[in-house]
Amino acid sequence: MASLINDLEIQGTQSTPVVTSDWSRGCLQMEGNSYPENSFEFFSGIFSWIERYLDEGAEPLCLELALIYMNTSSVKAMMDIFDLMEEAHGRGREVRVRWYFDPRNERVMEMAEEFREDYTFSFDILPREG
Amino acid sequence: MPDIDLYGLRSQFSREHILLCFNGPISRSLIEEIGNALRNHLEADRVQPGAAMDVFGIYIELTQNIRHYVTRMGYSEQDGAATVVVGRDGQGRYVVLAGNLVEREDGATLKARVEELAAMDKPALKAAYKAQLRQPKEEGALTGAGLGLTDVARKSVEPLQAHVSEVNEDGRVFFSLRAVV
Repeated sequence: MASLINDLEIQGTQSTPVVTSDWSRGCLQMEGNSYPENSFEFFSGIFSWIERYLDEGAEPLCLELALIYMNTSSVKAMMDIFDLMEEAHGRGREVRVRWYFDPRNERVMEMAEEFREDYTFSFDILPREG
Repeated sequence: MPDIDLYGLRSQFSREHILLCFNGPISRSLIEEIGNALRNHLEADRVQPGAAMDVFGIYIELTQNIRHYVTRMGYSEQDGAATVVVGRDGQGRYVVLAGNLVEREDGATLKARVEELAAMDKPALKAAYKAQLRQPKEEGALTGAGLGLTDVARKSVEPLQAHVSEVNEDGRVFFSLRAVV
């Protein structure tokens, strides 16, 4: 029952991505553009979900991202999430990021690669057609 | 007001290859709507998705910087007005200009920061960006615009240019910034 209470289902808008989570599978997905004026507010629910998931269980976590444009405050908020995952990884937890990008837009791949440089957990950057 | 030569204004826009121009108080939704118009335009122009995202990204960072500044300073709607222009230069590159009123000392700080950024090459800009990302919120705030400015400098193919114009407002100046993609 816990998964029903805990899961996220955030509708996407022009400036915020679709967010869904599945506690039972240990998976959180984000897809779309992210440039809200107040990114910390938008990301706080996502951050809390991941924090709780990592605190309360021992199962693996997978973040599946298909984020396109991110403003700098979204990048900063995402870094806080990755930092949380890095910490968990350091304690021996299995965590992974899969970042899908449209191969026609190399900027997305570059952004994902720039994130990946700072972390040691498993971080795949995968092309996915349109 | 009735004396404005609208045709003259339009001719100037055409002559200078100005695609989009806005002058007035900006809201969150207005930033998004103008952003949509800009995206549609770039798409119709068949701009490469990566370059289109750079133009859009510069537009977003600059306008959101203005919004955050105006909110933090508690400026009136009138004083918080932004001037935003997107055009093309002689080589067909996109030029994004944004300006707003700021306190005199903030104008000087911003201009000095833009000059620092303009002197850096791409690897130095990347290092500065990563260092700023790691700074706590408060310390990283260069009148709140620090990270956004560095991001714009990274996206711009030409060094950023800033200008401070004197205006007859008590202690305030008009700060404008120019980036090119």
